[in-house]
Amino acid sequence: MTENTDLLTLRSVSKSYGPVPVLHDIDLSIRDGEFLTVLGPSGSGKTTVLRLIGGLEPLTSGEIHLDGQDISRMPINRRPFNTVFQDYALFPHMTVSGNVGYGLSVRHVRRKEIARRVAEALELVQLGRFADRFPAQLSGGQRQRVALARALICQPRLILLDEPLAALDLELRRQMQEFLKSIQREIKTTFLFVTHDQEEAIGMADRICVMQAGHIRQLGTPHELYYKPNCEFVARFFGENNLVAGKLGPVQGEQRPIETALGRLVCSISGQPHLKAAADGASAFAAFRPEALHLANGEDSGNRFSGTIADLAFAGSSTVATITAGANGAAQRLRLRVPSRIDGSALKSGETVSLSFAPHEGHLVLA
Amino acid sequence: MSKTGSTQPSERQLSLLVTVLAFALPVVFVLVPLAIFLVYSFFGVDQGTIVYAPTLGNYVRFFTDPIFLPVFWNTIVLCVSVAAICILLAYPAAYFLATLKGRWRYALLMLLLVPLLMSYVIKIYAIRSILGLNGFLNKALVALGILQQPSTLFVFNMNAILLTLSLLLIPFAILPIFLSLERIPQTLLRASDDLGASGWQTFLRITLPLSLPGVASAASFVFVLAIGDFLTPQMVGGISGFTFGRILYSQFGTAYNWPFGAALSVALAMVVICAILIGERFGRSRGTSL
Repeated sequence: MTENTDLLTLRSVSKSYGPVPVLHDIDLSIRDGEFLTVLGPSGSGKTTVLRLIGGLEPLTSGEIHLDGQDISRMPINRRPFNTVFQDYALFPHMTVSGNVGYGLSVRHVRRKEIARRVAEALELVQLGRFADRFPAQLSGGQRQRVALARALICQPRLILLDEPLAALDLELRRQMQEFLKSIQREIKTTFLFVTHDQEEAIGMADRICVMQAGHIRQLGTPHELYYKPNCEFVARFFGENNLVAGKLGPVQGEQRPIETALGRLVCSISGQPHLKAAADGASAFAAFRPEALHLANGEDSGNRFSGTIADLAFAGSSTVATITAGANGAAQRLRLRVPSRIDGSALKSGETVSLSFAPHEGHLVLA
Repeated sequence: MSKTGSTQPSERQLSLLVTVLAFALPVVFVLVPLAIFLVYSFFGVDQGTIVYAPTLGNYVRFFTDPIFLPVFWNTIVLCVSVAAICILLAYPAAYFLATLKGRWRYALLMLLLVPLLMSYVIKIYAIRSILGLNGFLNKALVALGILQQPSTLFVFNMNAILLTLSLLLIPFAILPIFLSLERIPQTLLRASDDLGASGWQTFLRITLPLSLPGVASAASFVFVLAIGDFLTPQMVGGISGFTFGRILYSQFGTAYNWPFGAALSVALAMVVICAILIGERFGRSRGTSL
């Protein structure tokens, strides 16, 4: 596999607009052939990262290396990257094939060759029949695919996608996600995908880079981010998570207890040396997923506490219960997700239940 | 209660009045005069009085008399040249304006449009003195060594009309071009850069084609304004600078032949309508913007 070689490296890259800093000392390596998603809320600097790599804006400081060579000052039209813009930025006065062939024709590729490669690219994005239409005659999803074909026809080393699915409706967005992923596998080109939608990120990415306020908070596989967030922000950003504040207790092998308002909760720390190294009594959170929480039965060893069901919400395949737990002074709101059943939930609103989660499904996050 | 009852009918009357006005104003002030002209063009003149009997004589005279068609043609060529000069000068100015940021662009745009507030006649006088034998243009050319002595090349002839009309009408060319340039989304230009185009390629293949609608309407504006002008040729044209507008003007003045003047106006109106239609045809961009 070539996936372990770095294609592009950002070295302590910073960016300010006037006196306003947008990115602080970003270090990021993009591996050759991977689908990397940069995820963050608006204002996190994720689009700026993409614009800096694409050459749409100059760096304030730092360096960008491609294959070990500094390209920080390379002009935009020389960089072997192509961008799929958020609003597609198709040229309205050119047909679909004119748009797709543009990158080749400005490089003076011969006409026959252009025609052949345009046909190929349109075939790839399943738009062969639309070659002679104008962008205004296409639907949103079709424009999206034209923009993609236009970006990949020059065989760039890296394709930059700036929230390309934001303007599409939900169903179409799902289709495009699968479509993008399958194209990426087919052409084996590195994709850098920017989005604020964590579901989108989890569904498509090989690795996700979570950004907040101009910093990279965590970089890892969707699985790592989901189950082993390294900070409160990531833990809260990815889906529903139960976070209970407390103080760390002494390390017990691959586990570590935390004293919380719900009592002593034991969580796994395997493979996370920074949790092992944290001082006793340090502030932290116990993090566990709604689907990891379950009604306690006799076999549960630890992590038991009781709570009152405040609300029940039917969500199709599963039912989510909102639970109030802990002493009155420090009541915690938790979520419990159980599979739905045709004859109604076993849970009743207002009922007090005993709950538990297994230590290996709990996780610690330093505050 | 009674209040709402009484306001409703008057509101309805008002909206009826507005509707009638909206249709009546163009009819009374545009279509009716045009129709009167058209009708007059089929009358004749005898001994200084209009003969109200239908005849094609005016049109026959226009097409057969060796004077009128050449002047008509030369005037069209002149006005096309004026339009071309205006576009060539206005495009770079408009492009520069469109690249400016913030309040500067509108301040400068206003500055370019200030001449429109000044009296037409005063502007012609000013330009005439610039073009004259002792004018700025001749003095500058002599000082630069391009000419040995002041030239009569720009005085009381077609060249003078050409230069004067161009100078007068440039603002009408800058505005539509500027507007069309301003409307081009910046992200299209970035997309072109991103796909590997040089600055020049981006201009030729994206900016220029997308601004052509503005260029077309600028050209038809200038052409129409230039071809209808008789004052400028009258004041700077001298004897050799004879344009169709001047002939037309004389028919309503010294020659006192309104029916023939009306026939000439109809011929001119045909050209103007064609120019506007052509401008409109090219002014509409292919594939509306996204």
